[in-house]
Amino acid sequence: MTHPAVELDGIWKRFPGVIANAGAGLTVRPGTVHAVLGENGAGKTTLMNCLAGVYRPDEGHVRIDGRTMIFASPADALAAGIGMVHQEFRLVPTFTVAENVVLGAAPRVLDTAEIERQVGEMAARFGFQVEPDRPVWQLSMGERQRVEILKALWRDARVLILDEPTAVLTPQEAVELGEVLRRMVADGRSVIFISHKLDEVVSFCDEATVLRGGETVAASVPVADVDASELARLMVGDVAVEAVPIAVAMPGDPALTVDNLFVRDARGLVAVDGVSFDVRSGEIVGIAGVAGNGQRALTDAIAGLEPVEAGTVTVMRTDVTNAPPQRRFAAGLAYVPEDRLGVGLAPKLPVTENAVMREFRTLRRGPLLNWASARAFCDRIVERFEVKIGKRDAPLAGLSGGNLQRLLLGRELSGKPDVVVASQPTRGLDVAGVRAIQRLIVQQRDEGTGVLMVSEDLDELLSLADRILVMNAGRIVGEFNAREATRTQIGEAMMGTTAEASA
Amino acid sequence: MRGGQPIAFVVGLVFALVVGAALLTISGDPVFDTYQRMWDRSFGTADTLSATFNRAVPLALAGLAVSIAATMGLWNIGAEGQIMFGATAATLVGRIGAEWPSPVLIVAMLIGAALGGALWALGPGLAKAEIGVSEIITTLMLNEVAVRLIVYLQTGPWKDPDGFGFPQITVKPEGSQLGIIWERSHLGVLIALAVIAGFAWFVNRSVWGYELRIAGASAKTAAYAGISMRKKVLGVLVLSGAVAGFAGGVELAGTAARLNENISNGFGFAGIIVAALALMRPSGVALVAVFFGAVQVGGQSIQTLGVSPAVAGILQALILFGAIGAAVLSTYQVALVERKVVTP
Repeated sequence: MTHPAVELDGIWKRFPGVIANAGAGLTVRPGTVHAVLGENGAGKTTLMNCLAGVYRPDEGHVRIDGRTMIFASPADALAAGIGMVHQEFRLVPTFTVAENVVLGAAPRVLDTAEIERQVGEMAARFGFQVEPDRPVWQLSMGERQRVEILKALWRDARVLILDEPTAVLTPQEAVELGEVLRRMVADGRSVIFISHKLDEVVSFCDEATVLRGGETVAASVPVADVDASELARLMVGDVAVEAVPIAVAMPGDPALTVDNLFVRDARGLVAVDGVSFDVRSGEIVGIAGVAGNGQRALTDAIAGLEPVEAGTVTVMRTDVTNAPPQRRFAAGLAYVPEDRLGVGLAPKLPVTENAVMREFRTLRRGPLLNWASARAFCDRIVERFEVKIGKRDAPLAGLSGGNLQRLLLGRELSGKPDVVVASQPTRGLDVAGVRAIQRLIVQQRDEGTGVLMVSEDLDELLSLADRILVMNAGRIVGEFNAREATRTQIGEAMMGTTAEASA
Repeated sequence: MRGGQPIAFVVGLVFALVVGAALLTISGDPVFDTYQRMWDRSFGTADTLSATFNRAVPLALAGLAVSIAATMGLWNIGAEGQIMFGATAATLVGRIGAEWPSPVLIVAMLIGAALGGALWALGPGLAKAEIGVSEIITTLMLNEVAVRLIVYLQTGPWKDPDGFGFPQITVKPEGSQLGIIWERSHLGVLIALAVIAGFAWFVNRSVWGYELRIAGASAKTAAYAGISMRKKVLGVLVLSGAVAGFAGGVELAGTAARLNENISNGFGFAGIIVAALALMRPSGVALVAVFFGAVQVGGQSIQTLGVSPAVAGILQALILFGAIGAAVLSTYQVALVERKVVTP
C-alpha cells in the first residue's frame, strides 16, 4: 500500500491567548486535489503553515510519504517537496517571470535566454499561459499567481498548497486554474486547496477535509458523495445557512450622485475616466468588474481619499467633491474600504480607539478625549453588531476577519448614514461572516439607505444588488437590472467586449 | 518580550565588561580598580549619584525629544542645535529679566528655551510637512547654524565686558540658578521627570495623542479618519524641538555658568541613543538616561587613574553597545531548532 503524500496527525498549535489548531489532522492521497475547508479562524492557514515549515507544531506529527519530518524553516519543507502559494504574492515586480521563477534556485551561471526557455517549456507542460520574458509588474493578479505556482514547480514541489487561490481571479481564470491543477495531479503531484467557496471545492477537488475551531470535523470526504449544503453545515456547525432574503427595492431620491468623475492614480494614469451614476435611497447599486479597473480609485474618490481631477460628487444634495473625509461622513456618507486593515482600521491600536475613529471629535472634553464616553460608544457598537472581542483595550489585530469587518461596518453605520459605499465588504470572510455583513447591508437598504457595493463576487452582486454597473478600464461599460441579468452578460461586459469599451 | 529585558540587559553588560577587561589588560590598566572607580563615581555615593542624576536630565529630555519624533517615524537628529538655541533664547530672557524675582525669571527662561527649540525645529517641520524635505538633513544642518550663532554672540553683541578680552558671554544672572534638592541634584531632575510623565499622560488621554497614534500607525488610516498628516508631522517636529530646547534651558539654569557653544555637550546626539535604548518609548527615557549618565560620568572619571581618554571612550561605547544589543535582542526568543529528523 502506498503512503499518503501528506499526513498531519494530532497537530496542536497555540498562540498567546489563542489555540489555532487543537489536534487537527489531514491526510492527502498522492495524485489528488484535496480541499481544506473551514471558516476564517478555523485554523486552516495555521495548519498549512505547520506543513510548509513556517510554524512548528507544539504537538503532533508531520509525515511526508510516510516519513516523519520536522521542518525548521520553509526551505526545509520545500526541500522535502512542499510548496506553498500564499495569499499575498512574494514576487519581485521589476524582475521578469523567468527571473522570479528561478530566484533563489537559479543555476550558478545565469543564462537568461536558457532560463526563459526552460521556464516556458515547464509552463507549457502544465498548460500555463505565460510569457517568461515579461516583467512581473505588467502582469494581472491571475498571471502573477501562475508565476508563484511555477516557482513551486521549478523547485519540484510534490505537494502544492494554494491558500485561497481564486480570491484574485476572474471566473474564467478560476476555470483555467482548475485545468492546471488537473494536469499537476495527473503528473503524480498532490494539491491542497484552501477555500471557503463551496462551488469551487465541488468543481475542482477530489476530497475535502473540514476544519472547525482548530479541529478536524470531517476528514477526506469524497467530494462526489456529498453536496455543497452538507459541506456548509460541517463548516459552520449546526447554524442554518440560508440566502439573505431580499425584499423588493423601493428606491427614492438620489442619495449619492457622481457626475462625470475623473480620477488619476498614484502613477498619474487615468483610473476613473468620466464616470456618472446615481445611487438612490433604498437601493443597492453593485459595481462589477475585474480587479484593477478603477473600482478602488472610484470609491476612494467618493470617500475623499483620492483627489478628484474633474467632475462632482454629491451626497444628499451637498456637493462634497473637495470636502475632507470627515465632512463627507458628517454629510451622511459611510465608507467601508477594500483594505480594511490598512485604511479603515489601525490594527495595532486598541478596539476602543478603532471604534471611535469617526466620532472622536464629538467625544472630546477640552483637549482630552472623554474615555468613558469612548468606551461606552465602543460597547454599543460591539453589542449592537455582535462583534466578538477579547479585551476592549487589547490591540485590534487579535480579532478574526469577520469580527473586524463587523466592527468597521458597525462603526460606519452608527452615524446613521444616507449612503454606504462598501468595497469588497465580504471578501475573505467565512460563511457566517458573509451572511452577517450581507444581512446588515440589505437591512440598511430596507431602512432607506442608498448602498454602493463594489464586489468581485458576481453571485453576491446578482443576489444582493438592484442594479449592477460594470466597470472596465475606468469606465462604466454596462448597466444591468440585477433581477434579469445573467452571469454571461455581465462577464462579457467585464471583459470589455462591448463596443464602447473597445473604442 | 518585556520579561526578557532585564536578563538580556545584564548579559549585554557582562559582555561589555568582559571585552572591556581584555582591552584594559592590553593597555596595561588595572581592570578591577578601573571598574571600581567607574562604579564609585557614578552610583557609589550619594554625592556621585546626585551628580549622575544631573547628567541624566539633559539626556532624558533629549531622548524624549527624539522619541516624540519617532512616534511618527521621523528622525530629529537636530536636538543638539535645538538645545543650543533653546539655551540661547533662555539667555536672552535672562539678559532682559536679570532683575526679576528668581522663580519668575526661571519660568520665563524655560518657556523661552522651549519656544526657541520649537522655532529651531519649525523650519525643518514646515519643509517636511509641506514639500517632503527629509527632516534628517535639515535638522542636522541646523546644528551647525546654532554653533555659529553662539560663536557670533560671544564674540559680538553678548561679549562679556568684564571678560579680559576673552570671547565669552556674560555669566547668567544669579536668580536664574535652579535650586538644589538633594546633595548635588538640582530642581531640573524633578522638572525633567514631570515633563516626561506629563507628556506620557497627555498622549494617552488627549485627542491630540489619539490622532498621533493613528497618524503614526498608517498615513492612509489617518486620511480616512480625517486627520491631517501635514499638521501632525509639523506638530510633532515642533514639539520635539521644544522639548530639546527646554533641555537647553534646564541645562543653562541647572548646571552651566554661562551660554557657550558646548552647552549641548553632545546631549542631542546621545538622546538618539537614549531613545533607541528605550525602544523609542517616551516612558522609558528617564531610566535609560540615568544609566547613560552613569556611564558618561563614570567613564570620564577613570581618566584620573591614568586610563587614556581613548580607552575610556571605547569602554563607554562598549557598555552602550552591549546595552543596545541587549535591548534589540530581547525582542527575540532563544530557541533550539531541530531539523529534518527523519524516521523510517
